[in-house]
Amino acid sequence: MECGETRQMIQDHIDGLLPPRVSEKFREHLGGCAPCASEEAELRGVGDLLRLWSAVRVEEREPQLSALWARVGAGIEERRKPWLVPLLRRWFWLPAAAAVAVLTLLFYPLNGSMAPFHPKSFDVTVESLESDTATVALVDKGEELPRVIWIIENGNT
Amino acid sequence: MPGSRFPAIAFVALILFAHTAVASPDAPVAIDVGVVVASNEGTTIDPALSSIQNKLKSMFNYTSYRMVDRLKRTLSVGETGDFGLPGNRSMRATPVPAKGNKVRLAVQIMEGDRNLLSTTLGLTRGGMVLVGGPSHQKGVLILIISAE
Repeated sequence: MECGETRQMIQDHIDGLLPPRVSEKFREHLGGCAPCASEEAELRGVGDLLRLWSAVRVEEREPQLSALWARVGAGIEERRKPWLVPLLRRWFWLPAAAAVAVLTLLFYPLNGSMAPFHPKSFDVTVESLESDTATVALVDKGEELPRVIWIIENGNT
Repeated sequence: MPGSRFPAIAFVALILFAHTAVASPDAPVAIDVGVVVASNEGTTIDPALSSIQNKLKSMFNYTSYRMVDRLKRTLSVGETGDFGLPGNRSMRATPVPAKGNKVRLAVQIMEGDRNLLSTTLGLTRGGMVLVGGPSHQKGVLILIISAE
């Protein structure tokens, strides 16, 4: 193998693209030719430098690359579920309405045993009042307070 | 899209106001009886009484109001409902014909065979009346009767 042919193959050799037999002859030539070996070493060093530089640049741009990848990921996800987004937009009020319904039932239980009393009025007419065994008193402390019918048994209360 | 919010608003309004419909005079009467034991043992106020605790304190001198039972029955006019009370007592309530937005209730409270009270009450729908006095444990029973 001659020097001109060898130098044309240097980059392919560094990139590992030469067939095994050609690569063997290439290495044989480099073993006996100092100028070609020097040029091969220089080119290999340039390649290493370029790779190092690229790595540094990628590291510097890492936030932008991450953001770009996030956008790409979101885009892929959106493409994957095209039917869900319009559906959610149309029925977005349903979860909110369900939450309001649950809260309403919690605060206004129709038949709950522990529901607070919410009297609308204390206006009561006592048409008749009698007892066979006790004294009964009607207590009226005004419209703002409930009327009370008090049963007094055996003078105890 | 303001138009798309209308169903949500209508839904919420329906839930909030459905139970406020005006009843006809002969409509069934929902009777709600809270059975409360009032005493001077402790200072417990039952959470279910929180909305009327100030009124209870204004009416009575007890420090503790404990609701031991809550009885609800919906009765037609002429129909009698029995409500079991502590201490071998019971209450019978019968809605009787009334006019307008009024409810009339014939109420009888018994202790065994003894008639403790017979009364006929006229209330506005949603109104409340208290019946109390019979002793129970270390306090007295107070019945919070409301009719809707």
